[in-house]
Amino acid sequence: MIPALRLEGVTFSYGPVPALENLSFSIAPGERVALLGKNGAGKSTVVRLVAGLERPDLGAVWVGDWDTRDCVPEQLAWRVATVFQHADQQLFAPTVRDDVSFGPRALGVGEREVERRNRRALEDLGLTAHAGDHPYDLPPALRKVAALAGALALEPALLVLDEPTIGLDRVLRARVTRALLDRSAASVALLVITHDLTFAAETLERGVVLDRGRLACDEPLAGLLGDATRLEPLGLVPPPVAALSAALDLPGRPVREAEVARELARVARGRPAP
Amino acid sequence: MSRLHPFTLLAIAGSLPALAWILPAPAGGAWAAAVALVLTLTPGARPGFTSVFRTAVLTAAPFWLFLLLLHDVPTTVAIGLRITTMVASFVWLVATLEPARLVEAMVAAGWSASIAYLLAATLSAVPVLKARARRIVEAQRCRGLSPRGGIAARLRALRALALPLVLSALHEVDERALALETRGLVPGIRRTPLAPPPDPALEQATRWALLLGCLAALVWRFVLPRLT
Amino acid sequence: MKSLTLDRASFWYPATASPALRDLSLEVAQGEVVALVGALGAGASTLLLVAADLAPRVTGGRLTGAVTRRDRSGIVLPTPWTQLSGMAFTVWDEVAFGPANLGWPPHEIARQVDRALEQLELVSLASRDPATLSGGELQRVIIAAILAMDPGLVLFDEPAAELDAEGARTLWRLIRLLAREGKAVLLATSALDALADVADRIVWLEDGAVRAVGTPDLLADVALCDAGLGTSVATVWRAGGLPQPYPLTVAHALQRWR
Repeated sequence: MIPALRLEGVTFSYGPVPALENLSFSIAPGERVALLGKNGAGKSTVVRLVAGLERPDLGAVWVGDWDTRDCVPEQLAWRVATVFQHADQQLFAPTVRDDVSFGPRALGVGEREVERRNRRALEDLGLTAHAGDHPYDLPPALRKVAALAGALALEPALLVLDEPTIGLDRVLRARVTRALLDRSAASVALLVITHDLTFAAETLERGVVLDRGRLACDEPLAGLLGDATRLEPLGLVPPPVAALSAALDLPGRPVREAEVARELARVARGRPAP
Repeated sequence: MSRLHPFTLLAIAGSLPALAWILPAPAGGAWAAAVALVLTLTPGARPGFTSVFRTAVLTAAPFWLFLLLLHDVPTTVAIGLRITTMVASFVWLVATLEPARLVEAMVAAGWSASIAYLLAATLSAVPVLKARARRIVEAQRCRGLSPRGGIAARLRALRALALPLVLSALHEVDERALALETRGLVPGIRRTPLAPPPDPALEQATRWALLLGCLAALVWRFVLPRLT
Repeated sequence: MKSLTLDRASFWYPATASPALRDLSLEVAQGEVVALVGALGAGASTLLLVAADLAPRVTGGRLTGAVTRRDRSGIVLPTPWTQLSGMAFTVWDEVAFGPANLGWPPHEIARQVDRALEQLELVSLASRDPATLSGGELQRVIIAAILAMDPGLVLFDEPAAELDAEGARTLWRLIRLLAREGKAVLLATSALDALADVADRIVWLEDGAVRAVGTPDLLADVALCDAGLGTSVATVWRAGGLPQPYPLTVAHALQRWR
């Protein structure tokens, strides 16, 4: 099976200092990957390369079987939907519904299909009630979610999100998690830059960690997130739930809230009363 | 160029268009436009400005087309050169005048900080808007917007690029006003000049000369003929 | 000594029928860190604007009740890029912008700027152009810029939003330091897990009114957990059906477990 995304020996510099050096990793359809690392590690550069906004100096970026060096961003939009930080600044249509439709329409999708995708994206993110609102009448958090809806409506094979949860509260974060998990189950691959490791634990399954432009580690989040000794040198801190799981040595060392709660309950039940 | 005192830059950018309009066309306009365009070619533009000359030419071009539709060739040339001078001078000014230096110069000359910032904010808005415009173009392209195509497609594209820029900028005006207040702009307090730009006597003299030159041209062109 | 006192304050934004703040009373003492928690739209940002004397003075609208301030306030907004002056070509100049506006003598400005840059670990970025900074670096520059004005009351609206783990850690340490220096700190944040070690008091805002006030233990309260405002550890403890009191942090949980 062709990976949804493949980086092969990618090296890229904006100026004299390389932003990325010899970076290689791939994402299978339906796989959910967190792109982690300190500020300045090169994560946003990866996003720009995948979206086709930059071309690698060395190596190649493959979106499906398309080499990004042969494509322009508007072509790549057929396969990859990117939501940048501050995406709420890209909204412009008179209603949320129109703005979400913008992407599919730009790709030339038929009206009935646009309608279907629209409805699905808005429903998945709980925005149906706001479909007729002007984007700037919504609070910033909902505008961010509306921008994400626009990406979902493109129904891409790969979703690339740059910090999708900044400014969102628990309820909205849970909605985003739910929507992303649903898409992933339908074989959409996810690449998410986030410094919210709690969100990563709930939503994503694998962590690609960058350190000064190089690949520092690429492995399942389940093992990584609870391990402070591995995360510390990478400038990361275990999210509390994963840290709890490790500290209490829960069986299986789960990192997701529901699983940790279940294990807590099980272990507590099995213990003698204090 | 940007090392000149801000008031000198303002004087130059003001007197060139003034002379273009005062002096008889087309020679006056041609000369002033030529000087203005040469200025746009000189180095010294502050960060965020590439090819000032190109920007000036591209901004002035639509005016020429418009004029050609309305007037005959001699009138078009006469007015076009004057407009070109205005555009080029303004573009050059925005690219060369550092807002911080303008604020420092105005405050040192006794102007209130608030008025100085108002003027300077206009100048500093350009690189910020340019950067944001670039980000919006990228985001819309990643949503499938193609900058190519027929007229209708390009107009649609323009809408998807211009509207978000304007909307987000307008939306932020309120926030910016609030934000500037948070940085200590309290009326009645005299701002401490951190680095008032030097104002050599030569530049002061040049400014007076430019002002007098414009007045002289005014007199020569409009007053003298009535007297003789 | 009270730095900020709100006495039954209500605030309406212009042309809005329902108040953003309702009958709100709150005190922040010098040397104290008070954290505002609540759902989006609960009024935390508005409360900070009122505390900073920006609402209704700059935003417009109507304020009833009494607001008393002892010290000069400084506020870090949740959109730090709007607070950039747009008129500085180096980080140093950007941070000096505020103190210069206050009319301080040059040596005092230099002292405050250097200190603020050090506190926010920005010394290596001092000659960088603010326009080239990343979101996280920018947030730290704005914080430094506000602190350089030496406010007695420091207000933060989601200061850690764009910061990575290290940046956030530096920020929380700095906030504790500010309190030790005698400043009053009022902050709105959704980083609930950090508050146990940072805040002296928690204020739960709901629909513009104070619903509860307490020590950080409040973040392990049943009601807050149900409202999605408990710490991660407290929330998962509750979800596991384990008995109260819920632990705030991993350290607390470890103690309870043994």
